[in-house]
Amino acid sequence: MLTSRTAARSLETAEIGPAIEGRSLWADARIRFFRNKAAVAGLIVLIFVALFALFGSHLTPWSNEEVDWSVLGNVEEAGRPSIATRHFFGTDALGRDLFARTVQGTQISLMVGLIGAMIAVVVGTIYGATAGYYGDRVDNIMMRIVDVLMSVPYMFVLILLLVVFGRSVLLLFVGIGLISWLDMARIARGQTLSIKNKEFVEAAHAIGVRPATIIRRHIVPNLLGVVIVYATLLVPNMIIYESFISFLGLGVQEPLTSWGALISDGASQMQYGTLWMLGFPLFFFVITLFAFFFVGDGLRDALDPKDR
Amino acid sequence: MLTFIIKRLAVAIPTLLILVIFSYLIMYAAPGGPFDSERQLPPQVMANLMAKYGLDQPLIVQIARYVWNVVVHFDFGPSFIYKDQTVNDIIRQGFPVTLTYGFWSFVVATSVGMSLGILAAIYHNSWLDYLAVGISVGAQVLPNFVMAPILVLTFTLWLGWLPGGGWQGGQWQYVIMPVIALSTSFMASISRLTRSSMLEVLNANYIRTARAKGLPMRRVIFRHALKPALLPVISYLGPAFVGMITGSVVIDIYFSTGGIGIFFVNSAINRDYSVIMGITILTGALTVLFNLVVDILYAWIDPKIRY
Amino acid sequence: MNMKAILKLSAVAAVIATAAPAAGTHPVTGEKLSDNQTFTYRQLDQFPTLDPQMNEETEGHHVIRDLFEGLLIQDADGNLIPGVATSYEASNENKTYTFHLRPEAKWSNGEPVTAADFVYGWQRAVDPANASPYAWYMEMASIVNASEIIAGEKPVEDLGVKAIDDHTLEVQLIKPLPYFPMMTTYSTMMPAPRATIEKYGAKWTDPENIVSNGAYTLTAMVMNEYQTREKNPMYWDADNVIIEKTTGMIINDVNQALTRYKAGEIDHLEPLPAGQYPALLKQMPDEAHSVPRLCSYYYAFNQRPDAIPELKDVRVRQALSYAVDRDVIVNQILKGGQWPSYDFTHIKTAGFEVPEIDYANWTQAERDAEAKKLMQEAGVKDLKLKLIYNTDENHKQIATIIAQMWKQKLGVETELQNFEWKTYLDVRRDGQFDVARVAWCADYNEASTFLNVLTTDNEQNDGKWSNAEFDRLMAASATAEDPEVMYTDAEKVLSDDMGILPIYHYANTFLLKSDIKGWPYNNAENNWYSKDLYRVAE
Repeated sequence: MLTSRTAARSLETAEIGPAIEGRSLWADARIRFFRNKAAVAGLIVLIFVALFALFGSHLTPWSNEEVDWSVLGNVEEAGRPSIATRHFFGTDALGRDLFARTVQGTQISLMVGLIGAMIAVVVGTIYGATAGYYGDRVDNIMMRIVDVLMSVPYMFVLILLLVVFGRSVLLLFVGIGLISWLDMARIARGQTLSIKNKEFVEAAHAIGVRPATIIRRHIVPNLLGVVIVYATLLVPNMIIYESFISFLGLGVQEPLTSWGALISDGASQMQYGTLWMLGFPLFFFVITLFAFFFVGDGLRDALDPKDR
Repeated sequence: MLTFIIKRLAVAIPTLLILVIFSYLIMYAAPGGPFDSERQLPPQVMANLMAKYGLDQPLIVQIARYVWNVVVHFDFGPSFIYKDQTVNDIIRQGFPVTLTYGFWSFVVATSVGMSLGILAAIYHNSWLDYLAVGISVGAQVLPNFVMAPILVLTFTLWLGWLPGGGWQGGQWQYVIMPVIALSTSFMASISRLTRSSMLEVLNANYIRTARAKGLPMRRVIFRHALKPALLPVISYLGPAFVGMITGSVVIDIYFSTGGIGIFFVNSAINRDYSVIMGITILTGALTVLFNLVVDILYAWIDPKIRY
Repeated sequence: MNMKAILKLSAVAAVIATAAPAAGTHPVTGEKLSDNQTFTYRQLDQFPTLDPQMNEETEGHHVIRDLFEGLLIQDADGNLIPGVATSYEASNENKTYTFHLRPEAKWSNGEPVTAADFVYGWQRAVDPANASPYAWYMEMASIVNASEIIAGEKPVEDLGVKAIDDHTLEVQLIKPLPYFPMMTTYSTMMPAPRATIEKYGAKWTDPENIVSNGAYTLTAMVMNEYQTREKNPMYWDADNVIIEKTTGMIINDVNQALTRYKAGEIDHLEPLPAGQYPALLKQMPDEAHSVPRLCSYYYAFNQRPDAIPELKDVRVRQALSYAVDRDVIVNQILKGGQWPSYDFTHIKTAGFEVPEIDYANWTQAERDAEAKKLMQEAGVKDLKLKLIYNTDENHKQIATIIAQMWKQKLGVETELQNFEWKTYLDVRRDGQFDVARVAWCADYNEASTFLNVLTTDNEQNDGKWSNAEFDRLMAASATAEDPEVMYTDAEKVLSDDMGILPIYHYANTFLLKSDIKGWPYNNAENNWYSKDLYRVAE
């Protein structure tokens, strides 16, 4: 009995997978990731967008809130993208520099997308894996909680947050986080139901490895592929969702802006000859999402131990 | 399996009850009421309105009365805003609309999405893979509030092929654009989930064995690989289907379809308490139901899964 | 030939008979009429009700005005003309009104419209059990016992309105009210079909149940999609009704609505997308219009006891007002023919004379200089203001621009806060602001509908500005021979104390297909009736 317990403990602490020529799984994954051209291209684009968000404001004389009075009232003509006026991306409907606003919106939206996806991955995966692994009554209760949370009129939760805590960017992330993990939990739980019947999990269970360890060591790594791909799918939803939260007054306030706000402003002006207002923010949104998707796929491929 | 289904349906009742109480409480706690407007009503008029709709009662009485009416009479009460309509009327009118375009969106999204995903997985890292990913990313990144106006500008104003909105009882001309606008982002998600889980399955040992034995690719895919690869897709489809049939407010706003989505959003904005509750219960019941269906499908896909 | 076929035939015959003028020329102008006498317009939102007594907003009022007819109606210039009543007289020091109803007026089921139908309708409006949100309208009309009935102190039968006989209606008021006849055009004071309402309850306005006495009857209604009303052959003046069918299409998104207008799906679109009026006027000079709308847009200063002290200084309020360049807002943002405002009451309000307000005539440079001087005199530095508005593109733009003007000219920092509508109302009523966006629309075409809002104990006075002289003038105006002088004086008091920061007076911008004629462009309340419209042949 005693020996089997020590054996189990040593199994708990052992590295998963044999290390070929001393190369760890992670190093292996890194090499495979960098061999994937699309993923590397995606990573470069992401770095470029991040640099744009961080340092873009130094490239323009305009701030994100300053109104160019010479443009206001004649945005269709005077607000066009132009080197001469230094409005590289043109101006918005109020004559504010769109380049500066896109830079600042990128900061907000990248943060929203990343943090939202991160909360979804961490909370959703752990929650789903736990429910799925324990199964039966625990599963039933945990998943019914998710059902309730999915159906609650979410707008009122957000309004209450606003009323009780006042507005702040932090609350925006709370609002995003509250909803983002629910679908992820369902997916992780579904996968877990299947994984837990696999031989290696049953073996670990049979020799008495603690459930928390089984979830951490055996279930979660096998969920990663689906989780990463789904997380990249969540990013665009989160970024768009932010504009709804801001509509309620909870999130980003004027003069600050975000991709969601810029794109929806631009889309509403689509017919009126000011396509740049939609084009530039949408361009950054689209290339970022493409990059996320390819990086996500690359990560998935790299982390799939069977895929060589 | 039967006992499992019965057990789950039994759990649905307390689940919905908790949903009702929870929703009622947060709705009540939120600022603003159904009768607030720019013009503040004189106190007497307000008191009459509150009395008419039972809002002068203690909260616990309101909830109890509401639950009683719903359970015993299946009566979700009158709308507080639309004076001539009951919640039952509103759901009876809006739900079939949403169900119709939601169902077709579901069909389109799953069939196209899964085909693209499977193709991309089989021809992994080939131009076909990139094309499929490209199409699905393109579909996903155009938010539907950008896509909807583009569709109407194209098909209504320039080409003149389709009416720019309305529903007219669900004639086909009116269904096409809502289905395109609603299905694309779901399609993209489905195709990407399918691709990734298909890749995972295709690399599993038993598939490699089957291929090593020289079985034709097509047979390997459809006989052995497809079913297990569907698992995460089905996890996603449960909530996605509920999302589609309980309506996308964007569709109702841009295409004037009169579905349930616009009612849900407007009722929340107007604080039309009874309509909010009615649609919340509908959403909750569908969520519980489709997650049950998903669980049954799990057991079909992987017979080892037991509950 | 069976019964059904005969009915159908006679229905066809009826249609042909009534359609006769449509095929020919307009009876008055002689213009050649189109064969297509339908009118389709865009509605922003689903209206809450078609029950005249329950209605409280304009979208529903447009429809109700076509379906039901009150004692008096309006012509194209907003003048009162006979509706169901052919004439009326005032007696008892203008506290009793007697209306004489036309005997030929009928409901759509053929029953005559009687004085009792009006009595029933008006009683419904005040009945506490019915709880109409517009019950206060009957109180405002000063009808005897209206307040007591609403408060539940007297039975509805005590309301001061009586049917002397089938065609004579007598109304008792508690005080003389010069604009009472004008008030009878609103839906609250329309008649109600008792038998139908008692039979169907709240569902009486469904197309299959409804009985109405206006020029049209409701034939289809799908919420959040569309509704149609078709010519009512029982209407007393049906021979002169030309439009056969009016359809309201609910299109929430204004840009989508514009696309559908251009595609020919709708004939009328109101309001236009923000800031697009000049461009559309250039594209479609015969179709784009801008007319006054009796609403006023302003910022309220928080004047509560716990408000920030700087705003209690009239010089600071003046400086903030002077620094706002209203011409920029009106001409460069809204661009829809709105009027920059320096007073509260809409300048197009009937009978209203705008007082002499100094800074209205200054140049903006003079205003800016004066504003800076006033700020210095007041010794205010580093002022930080919290400006709240409800989420909306226009409000956001105006708030952003004003914040920039204050910052650049006065060094005032402004924190913008937006809220969704109902939260906003709550926050504003609670006084959680320094400056708040407010808009007020006229209930009737007279200056008191605006100015009463700013009296000390008015519920709508969210800034809680209070001025004894202003209150005295408004109280006196209610019974004055010539109230207009007092309104002008009150505006002057308001302006001198800068109780609010006026920004602009509304205009209604819309597109109307050029073959639709008869539109009441000069009706300041925007009360249009389908029965007055017609479509000419191209």
